[in-house]
Amino acid sequence: MGDAAEEVTRTQLRRGLRIATSLVAMATVFGLGGSNILRHLEEYDSPLTQWAAFAALAAVLGGEALLIVRGRSWNRLRGPAIAVVLAASALSYVTLPDGRTSTGPDWIFGAANWAGLVVLLDRPLRSVALFLLAHELTALLNLLLLDDPSLPDMARFCTGSVTVIGFPLCVAVVASILSGLSARAAAAREEVERVRVSEAVAAESHRRRQQRFAELSVTTVPLLEGLADGSLRPEDPAVQRRCAIEAARMRRLFAEADTVANPLLHELRHCIDVADRKGVVVELDARGQWPEPPVAVRRDLTEAVLVALATAASHARVTVMGGAGLVSVSVVADCGEIDVPKPATPGVRVEALHNDDTVWMEAQWQPNRRLTS
Amino acid sequence: MAAEPPADELITVVIVDDHAAIAAGVRAWCSQAVPPIELIDAGDRLADAWTGPGAAADVVIFDLELVPRRPDFGELRRLVDSGRRVIVYSQHTDDATAIKCVDLGALAYLTKREGPEHLVPAIRAAARGEPYTAPSLSGALACDDAPGRPRLSQRETEVLRAWFVSSSKDLVAAKLNITVKTVDTYIARVRVKYANVGRAARTKSELVSRALDDGLITLAELNETSL
Repeated sequence: MGDAAEEVTRTQLRRGLRIATSLVAMATVFGLGGSNILRHLEEYDSPLTQWAAFAALAAVLGGEALLIVRGRSWNRLRGPAIAVVLAASALSYVTLPDGRTSTGPDWIFGAANWAGLVVLLDRPLRSVALFLLAHELTALLNLLLLDDPSLPDMARFCTGSVTVIGFPLCVAVVASILSGLSARAAAAREEVERVRVSEAVAAESHRRRQQRFAELSVTTVPLLEGLADGSLRPEDPAVQRRCAIEAARMRRLFAEADTVANPLLHELRHCIDVADRKGVVVELDARGQWPEPPVAVRRDLTEAVLVALATAASHARVTVMGGAGLVSVSVVADCGEIDVPKPATPGVRVEALHNDDTVWMEAQWQPNRRLTS
Repeated sequence: MAAEPPADELITVVIVDDHAAIAAGVRAWCSQAVPPIELIDAGDRLADAWTGPGAAADVVIFDLELVPRRPDFGELRRLVDSGRRVIVYSQHTDDATAIKCVDLGALAYLTKREGPEHLVPAIRAAARGEPYTAPSLSGALACDDAPGRPRLSQRETEVLRAWFVSSSKDLVAAKLNITVKTVDTYIARVRVKYANVGRAARTKSELVSRALDDGLITLAELNETSL
């Protein structure tokens, strides 16, 4: 919130400076420049050329006014605009009567600098300096090459240059300090943001580790403790079955963090792998397409498979059938009597069928039902 | 039924498959079957299914991918069109391929994961001109949502799903509280419905007309399913 307010303030400040500079430029070009042309109209060799230069500057300032209203920057038009200003300056000087540089008829000396400044205001300071230098050089070359300057002429030119270069440069310095400040503020804000993100990531991964540990602590930790203190015997088939189930749960837990196209099948493969190593032949077959179930639902869906595989004697068939409205995971295995796992999420249903030694468990999830309930 | 080979007559099968191990495995299953089935190994030579002893074989077991990743539907169509009873035996497991084979008129589609417990009944059914639906095909049919598919009843879909999932008709019967015979009936009805909407072929028109004769399905039901 604070950052946003600062940003708004800075934007307003920059916009204010831009408007103020444009107003100054317009007053200088239209007011001073225009009145100077009118006053000395009969002195010019070609008044039309002076008006053309005036029109060029007016066009640039008009463009600036339009851009301000639209809240846009010069962007790709910046180069052409500066070229127009410098061309206008050169045009005006070429047709200026001899010995008139930096006097009343030389209206463009104090006008083109402002027109250029408004175009370059949001650029680095050196752009403005270079532009002012170019403008100054145009005037100086005109003075040196086309006129035969006397010492008072040079003095007058130098005095004029102080205001022609000085004032716009002052404005440019202010603008550059302002943009430097906002750049530093933005960098500082990014740094703060980066630190916050890394802290949040660290906190989240810590939370997930704790959560994983909590999940394991209910089932895995007592088993390990029992094995450690000798109260559970490794040769007991029930203990072996619990171990197989816990091993598969841990494999599933680790697989949950993987980024894969089909997490349900991916986690099932990990559950199956544990049984594979025990020598149980497992077929996995999937048909159809299904929406990705959330982690909690996937656990419920794979739990039946996991329990059946841990108990299967020799072979098992695991199948997934999916559609938009139903995802069903089934396991058929020769595992005798087993406990049917109870699903933790509301949208999941587990059914079991015992037929001689064969157990058929099916976990079904209806994605839409979960949303409505 | 009268024109079909009597049950006690020796069934001959020609297998077209470029994998020697597959042909040898199928030969072993056929010779262990009771009553045994005679197998002619054509290797990867399709011509042997058309000429010589292979031409007279009751059933053709056809590997759909003699050229890897280029399923030869054209050859399947030619075999079916000349009245041969074809079992497609493929390593392909995708539903679209399975359904396409059925549509072209193959009497059975089996994946190579499905062993003698499905291949031998499939051969016997094919020799009688009857379809056999293995679990993998059953799953493909249950999940088929193509626009032109026939309309199946809820019970038929349930049976297809259960057969795919459990791979045991006893389990399907126990789960759905029906007899194994009823399970077979539902599956057979689905195949008749598919044969009715699919491309015309002699094996398929036989299938439909026999189903009508046997009362497996009525003409009204068939017209209803083809939308």
